[in-house]
Amino acid sequence: MSAEEPTAADEVRTTIDVSTDRPWAWLGLAVFWGWLVVRWVNDFLLPESIAVPGAQSFLPAAPFASAAESLAVTAASLGAVGVPLDFVAGLLSFVAGAIPSLPALARGAWLTIVLTVAGIALGFPIAVLLSVARVYGGRGLRWLSLSYTELIRGTPLLAQLFVLYFGLPLTQIVREVPGVGSGFIPGTAAVVAILGFTINSAAYQAEYIRSALESVDAGQLTAARSIGLSKREGIRYVVLPQGLRYAIPGWSNEFVYLIKYSSLAAFITVRELFFRAESIANDTFQYTELYVLAGLFYIALVVSASVLMNAVEDWTAIPGLGGRR
Amino acid sequence: MTLLRVETVDKSYGDEEVLNGVSFEMDRGDVDVLMGPSGSGKSTMLRCVNRLTDVDSGHIWLDETDVTAPETDVNELRQDVGMVFQDFNLFAHLTALENVTLGLKRVRGMPEAEARDAARDHLEQVGLAAQAESYPAELSGGQQQRVGIARALAMEPKLMLFDEPTSALDPELVGEVVDVMADLAEGGMTMLVVSHEMGFARSAADDIHFLDNGRIVESGPPEQLFERPEHDRTEAFLTGLQSGEHR
Amino acid sequence: MQAGDWAFVLDNADYLLTGAGVTVGLTFAALAVGFLLGFPAGAVEVYGDGLLARAVSASGVLLRGTPIVVIMLVLFFVVSVSQSAFVTAAVGLGLRSAAYQSQIFRGALQSVDEGQLEAARAIGMSRFEAIRHVVVPQALRRSMPGFQNEFTIVLKDTSIAFAIGLAELLTRGYDLFTQTGRSTAVLEVFLAISAIYFVLTFATNRGLDRLADYYAIPSGENR
Repeated sequence: MSAEEPTAADEVRTTIDVSTDRPWAWLGLAVFWGWLVVRWVNDFLLPESIAVPGAQSFLPAAPFASAAESLAVTAASLGAVGVPLDFVAGLLSFVAGAIPSLPALARGAWLTIVLTVAGIALGFPIAVLLSVARVYGGRGLRWLSLSYTELIRGTPLLAQLFVLYFGLPLTQIVREVPGVGSGFIPGTAAVVAILGFTINSAAYQAEYIRSALESVDAGQLTAARSIGLSKREGIRYVVLPQGLRYAIPGWSNEFVYLIKYSSLAAFITVRELFFRAESIANDTFQYTELYVLAGLFYIALVVSASVLMNAVEDWTAIPGLGGRR
Repeated sequence: MTLLRVETVDKSYGDEEVLNGVSFEMDRGDVDVLMGPSGSGKSTMLRCVNRLTDVDSGHIWLDETDVTAPETDVNELRQDVGMVFQDFNLFAHLTALENVTLGLKRVRGMPEAEARDAARDHLEQVGLAAQAESYPAELSGGQQQRVGIARALAMEPKLMLFDEPTSALDPELVGEVVDVMADLAEGGMTMLVVSHEMGFARSAADDIHFLDNGRIVESGPPEQLFERPEHDRTEAFLTGLQSGEHR
Repeated sequence: MQAGDWAFVLDNADYLLTGAGVTVGLTFAALAVGFLLGFPAGAVEVYGDGLLARAVSASGVLLRGTPIVVIMLVLFFVVSVSQSAFVTAAVGLGLRSAAYQSQIFRGALQSVDEGQLEAARAIGMSRFEAIRHVVVPQALRRSMPGFQNEFTIVLKDTSIAFAIGLAELLTRGYDLFTQTGRSTAVLEVFLAISAIYFVLTFATNRGLDRLADYYAIPSGENR
């Protein structure tokens, strides 16, 4: 029906390949995650006596700033020859400017990851139900499933978030739930955002799973039934295991999509990565530094997701079924 | 008059030697057939003649032109050499007529009306005037291949190369293509053909070259190769061919 | 949900529909930019080599890995492409779309059988002519499904121009309930807007389906 139907077979792979002959990329990712995890442990788990204060970054910014200054002076005195030095000076001053905001961005990144992972994980079971209903269900079920996916995929995510946050009295209800907002558990707005991402992601995942299920040869289910399995068992033990493997490229897409579009949660006051970057930028007017930093964070997350999904694909591959060629 | 002269051509893909010192000559109007087991280098030899593949060493002369020389204009050369492919390779987005007119209009610069007339003549020559407005997907394999032949002929080449033209066809469609090729041969076209079609080789070929592992093992007229081959290898291959072993 | 709130929506229908007009205009502008940049980029990634191909590929990765909201804000506040929010949004969405369209075209160009190019060269066409007259026409047709997909994505992403205050459909809806103080009508307003978006995506999908059928190459089978 809707033309937005990427089939599992001719999916345009928008994931990024980190080939093994790019050691600096692996190094960069390792540094990124290493620092991020240490920061989170420090902020959320370590007792106050030994932890670095939440607002303070691990590295001091001052050395970078002074190094930048002296390099810039040297560069100026060298004239035209000093241009590369000037470039390095610019980089160092960028780093100096960026360092103080890193702790806040790390906390934002935590929320970004929580929003993304929760949205996909919670959306998955709903998506499986939707796609099975669409492929194997009777007329009524099929129509229901189709309406759901068409409506959700035909409207912007931001509008959906606005409906949930501003339109419905959800915040009042969620606020009352015990545990919301303390420690690890996300606050009210974030929970509403997760709900929005779940509903949205379920619709997209349903499409990927549906087309993957349809790529499984019809003869598979026939064979399953011919040895006495019920239709439900046949779907569960024969069709789904194959279909879900075909859906992996779709999930890679969805994962990358949600990492980026989790930034929209900022508009319903969720203090994730983008929100943090924007608020610091508005305070310090360091628009360039903060947005470039945010961009770098997102790219690191996206590349990590791609690497992860590639690994999943290889791990679940069976000869002749799925896996990367 | 020698039209094609192939002189000690070598070609390797990595460690694999595909052509090894291959030499032969063709006069104008000759019909030569290259035969041999798969992997013997026949198709590669063909593709070297119109520079779809470059030789590692040796020379190929078409009339006065050194095909293999780096300064030779490849695009001009290919106007003089027509090629028919095993998989037809018809332009999927164009009708049969447009497949033939494309080269005439874009390469030879012919105006539309003139190109269409010439194209229709060539389609008629291969018996497909009625299918001019059909798209490749609507035609049978044999019809597609005949359009491919018309497309190559339209450029009025000096030499026609056929790369296993019937290998991808269902048996009952082979005949219509072979008939067209036989007519061409009779009309005096110089043809270099890679094929397993023994009937065509026997009746139309002036010379058959048997290739094995990149070398010409034996060359000679059909009567010689089929009845009194000089080499065991040749005999073994051709017997296998006759009993339907090689396809 | 109250009847009075729906009446409020109806009263402001023309305000919202003008926003829908801005949305549609922005979509077309962004897609045009995306095509003009994305098609050559895809061709470069397939046929180019060396520095240019690598640079194109790298910029594509960057644009596809960065959230659209970040791209828009960078273009507005850091690079300051234009005073006009519409132009900035069109450029931002256009760049993002170009990065995705380049992948659509890259896949389509690569999916055209090698033999097509060979056959074109065998009749004496230069590489460029062969690509232009034989490969590209087929690749464009094969790009249609991906392009349809991209159309709806861009249409929905125009809502993110909210971040730079462009008065498109979503922003107008937001303004409607914040500025008029009719906070009870929030749900109705956003439902109405969602409905408009849905109609827009549905209509464009159908329209593009028709277009794809019109330009399709006839196949021998009855599909």
